[in-house]
Amino acid sequence: MAVRAPPTWRKPVGEGANRSFIGRGVYTIARMRDQRGLSIRGDRGFSLVELLVAFLILTLVITMSMAAFVERNKRLQQAGEIILAYQALANEAEYRRRMNYVGLEGEEPSFVSSTEVLAPLAPYATIVSVTQSKPGVKNVLMTIRWRNGQRQARLELVRVDTGGSNLW
Amino acid sequence: MVRRAAAGYTLVEVVVAMAIFGMFLFVLAQLTSEMRSVERRLPVNMHKHPQVIAVLARLRRDVMDATEYKSSHDGYTSSDKVLIVETMINGGLQDVVWDFQTPGEVHRRSYNVGVPVDWVARGLPLTFSALEIDAIKLNPRSKWAARITATDQKGRLAIDTILQPRATE
Repeated sequence: MAVRAPPTWRKPVGEGANRSFIGRGVYTIARMRDQRGLSIRGDRGFSLVELLVAFLILTLVITMSMAAFVERNKRLQQAGEIILAYQALANEAEYRRRMNYVGLEGEEPSFVSSTEVLAPLAPYATIVSVTQSKPGVKNVLMTIRWRNGQRQARLELVRVDTGGSNLW
Repeated sequence: MVRRAAAGYTLVEVVVAMAIFGMFLFVLAQLTSEMRSVERRLPVNMHKHPQVIAVLARLRRDVMDATEYKSSHDGYTSSDKVLIVETMINGGLQDVVWDFQTPGEVHRRSYNVGVPVDWVARGLPLTFSALEIDAIKLNPRSKWAARITATDQKGRLAIDTILQPRATE
């Protein structure tokens, strides 16, 4: 069965259609399609190769779209988690910055600041370690781990011995 | 020859088509449910909101340059919804009132030689507040910090920031 253009395409109506460039153009294309028999395709169906190629392209497009969608969601989620983690790290840094330099190693090995903002990451762990990198300088490394240790955010604070009186 | 349209589809063809369709539906359902679970768990990221960024930036500057927190000023009384600071500006001192009392709005009123100048940020989270002004008091010589919090529409804590006045001694 030949698929023919709708009547309004084949026969532009009214005087405007004869004068109209678009109207004449559409009419010409419709006639060409009929004469070349392009629309006979529908009668014999598609070959297996054609179908396979079409499915392959469709599968590729769907797979790539889904992969992009999943990656986007994953990154959005990670970005949200990191923003929460760095707020907690920055707050903890404010505390650690003001602790007595001499007793830094003996301070709490987990966060002393509020970790309420980390609730969506639960279960999580907060770790604080202090190392002396050189005389008069201590590095305070604050770490948050979540997703069973698969994800982590870290912030290192360098404390310098100012001679007993804290700058802060 | 029997034409395709007249013969219809075989059971195998229908089953295969349904299976492929079902697989797509399953994947879509999985993705949607995962997305919803993330939405439920994580608060709205307010740090990408320009108004929130503006409020935090101005607040940070006022608090970092603060010389003292005041208990009252010009009819305002300090509370978890009102933060009053005396802050340094252009070599002088200025009283600044941060008013979080109006839901969704933050008002900053600064007093320039006694004349109030207002700055307002709108479209903010409803529960923006200066929760504590004594968040950190580890060292008797250290100045008190302000802890700024904000929750999203579902009551999840989205902002929790400690702002500490810098040393000016």
